[in-house]
Amino acid sequence: MNPYKETVDWLDRRIGIRALLHQQLTGYLLPRNINIWYTMGAVLMAMFGLQFLTGILLLVYYVPDTEKAFASVTMIMNEVPYGWLIRYLHVVGSNLIIVFLLLHMLSVLYMGSYKRPRELTWVSGFILFNLGLVFCLTGYLLPWSQLSFWATTVATDAAGAIPIVGDFLIEFLRGGPSVGEATLGRFFALHVMGLPMAFLALVGFHLFCVRRIGISAPPFGEEYQPKLTYGFGHEEHPNGVPFHPHYTVKDLAVVFFALALLVAITFYAPWLFIPLDALTPADPFTTPEHIKPEWYFLWAYQTLKIFPSEFLGLAAQGAAMGFLAMLPFIDRGPERRPVKRPIFISLYLLGILLFVGLSMWGHYS
Amino acid sequence: MMRLKMMRRVSAVILACLLFLPLWVQAEETVCLQCHAGLEERLSAPVGQWRGSIHAQNGISCHDCHGGDPTDFEMAMSPERGFIGVPEYIEVPEFCGRCHLGVKEDYLASAHGKALELWGPQCVVCHGNHAVEKATIDLINPDSCSRCHEYERAAQVKQIISATEATLVELEASVADLHRVGFDMQRLREDLFSQRNSFRRLFHTVAPERIKKQTAEFDAGLATTREQIEDYEDSVEKRKIAGGAVVVLLLLGGCVALLIKRTFHDEEG
Amino acid sequence: MDDATPKERRTFLTVILGGVGAVVAAVAGWPLFRYLSPIDKGSAEDLVRVARQEVAVGGAHFFSYQGRPAVLLQPSAGEFLALSAVCTHLGCIVKWVDDKQEFLCPCHGGRFSPAGQVLGGPPPTALESYPVSLDGEDILVG
Ligand code: HEM
Ligand code: FES
Repeated sequence: MNPYKETVDWLDRRIGIRALLHQQLTGYLLPRNINIWYTMGAVLMAMFGLQFLTGILLLVYYVPDTEKAFASVTMIMNEVPYGWLIRYLHVVGSNLIIVFLLLHMLSVLYMGSYKRPRELTWVSGFILFNLGLVFCLTGYLLPWSQLSFWATTVATDAAGAIPIVGDFLIEFLRGGPSVGEATLGRFFALHVMGLPMAFLALVGFHLFCVRRIGISAPPFGEEYQPKLTYGFGHEEHPNGVPFHPHYTVKDLAVVFFALALLVAITFYAPWLFIPLDALTPADPFTTPEHIKPEWYFLWAYQTLKIFPSEFLGLAAQGAAMGFLAMLPFIDRGPERRPVKRPIFISLYLLGILLFVGLSMWGHYS
Repeated sequence: MMRLKMMRRVSAVILACLLFLPLWVQAEETVCLQCHAGLEERLSAPVGQWRGSIHAQNGISCHDCHGGDPTDFEMAMSPERGFIGVPEYIEVPEFCGRCHLGVKEDYLASAHGKALELWGPQCVVCHGNHAVEKATIDLINPDSCSRCHEYERAAQVKQIISATEATLVELEASVADLHRVGFDMQRLREDLFSQRNSFRRLFHTVAPERIKKQTAEFDAGLATTREQIEDYEDSVEKRKIAGGAVVVLLLLGGCVALLIKRTFHDEEG
Repeated sequence: MDDATPKERRTFLTVILGGVGAVVAAVAGWPLFRYLSPIDKGSAEDLVRVARQEVAVGGAHFFSYQGRPAVLLQPSAGEFLALSAVCTHLGCIVKWVDDKQEFLCPCHGGRFSPAGQVLGGPPPTALESYPVSLDGEDILVG
């Protein structure tokens, strides 16, 4: 009597688990030359999972009240056993997630896997990226520190540059004329309920698309030939390697390394992501000097500064993001090999340089 | 001993008031600054000197000492709005002592303070006025002291207090470091702040015997503070060791997974 | 190592990986357990101070003792009693009935005397009592 086999047999008679597992895991063949960049999705899932866990734990002690929020976070950091660990994991995790989101996006761009038939995968991914940013923005306010307060004030203020509805929009985002209790209430609700739900639904859709269409073959090597697809068809890789255990073990390895990075920063340099202003309670009457957004918003911050009017800056940002969101509908050729796409790759590199350049400029100005 | 307790209590009250002024508070561009910046050298120099001062860093601006209305060009220097202007030489201790209460008291009772009417040294003689910096033990030096008298007694005082001063400075730095990595240092910081103030009061008495006697008490107090700081520092070290172990473990897991991956390759030849 | 087949090597490595995973889980589990355990506030709350005037003669004063509801009585002038207010049946909080000078549990009708003794109903044992002492105008419980 093998209890494992018994259980599987039982499940097999009920829901046909063996066929399902074979179809989705062992019989699901991936291209033989699949590379490390395809593990980014798994890393993101692991990191988000951890983020949910540490987030729920923080909720145990956090109090979403302007009078008590900072004190509750201070208590988590100082009195609750290992509270500092949970909080730092959540803070460092949020920053690493942005890093991995960028890597995932950049690799998908480089390999042209956003192209037909994967437009929906790309669009849902791009919305997920934006959700990730909004997660960070809303989470930033919750500790109610000087940094929280002023970063949110500045960020919501940018909406004022939109003609006609700008002023209304600022108040709508804040729930009042300035950042206060009402802002904390809505940001909190979004951060712990609204966004996670939307996020889970979208990740589900994203993964569905990935699986339904079949993973793309990396556009490298002799054998690779761009395919023109018309009707729907699962992309098959007849000579491929099984997803499980061949590829899952690679996913697992990279997840381990990503966690090692997370833990290393958490224990050795958590202050990288916690500026001094984050250690002082919010004071609506004193703006600290040199208030700067977090690193992944610096490019936007600097764009707003270099354009002669805030509106133009905002419009430029909107255009850039809109262009990225719509990319698979604009760039429609079947060719995915980077060497055969010199214009795209030049733009790609320029885009990265622009992002890094603007961010550095924003950081040092 | 009683007196020491009292002193601590008074400075704790002052401290409580000061702590409500967060460190970065920037004094605004008041009308005083706007107007004086454009005046002749004698009247504009204080603006620049003040900008680099410890007062500016803590948001103490012109009107906080000189009175007047910093928001109204017309009435800025009207006595009706509490304008005081420049104090006489002899009034300076009272002028500064409105905030620096404790030090004023000990200073007035000291040899320095008693000689005030005979042009004995007052606050700004040693500390300077508009450009006042964070006080350090280096304000006691041969150049400064021998303007009036032999350096010998001053050197004696400096020698008595220097170890304790150094400890204070060192502990303050440790507290700032711990605060930076996320510890709540409020209580220890207040504690140190009040000890520092009481200690600085003490040596404004410029009475070597008394300073010597009471310095020992301060050292004992500081030793307790140091122990608490060391407890924190210990836990920082322990965390790093534990974190290091977990990192190694995770890297190991990653490597083993990669090795498993290799076995699949080998199988396929 | 050379003569181990890839399959044997894999089994060996998988066991190690499982071990690493188990250790990581254990190492992560401990902080989790500690994080969620009640925070020990120390012994500061062992002694509760209540002003004497709060407790009328023949009346009852409810207060919190070590995180649980408790009650102080003054059956006759100058005589004080402290009891747990948690019914020994299923944990409801007993009520003081002034007219009858006894406790009534609203849940299943358990009754207790001012000394905590069971007078009737389902409660199996008497209410726990706590030591009381006087300190000037205050009563000290605990
Ligand atoms: C929360 C964030 C995200 C999660 C959890 C996630 C998860 C995944 C996973 C598990 C895969 C399959 C394996 C892989 O190729 O990595 C995948 C593929 C893909 N993702 Fe994401 N993703 C996220 C965000 C994004 C973003 C921001 C984009 C781009 C804007 C994106 C675009 C794509 C595309 C185009 C594919 C298909 C790749 C292919 O078939 O070769 N995803 N994603
Ligand atoms: S709980 Fe009191 S009688 Fe049942």
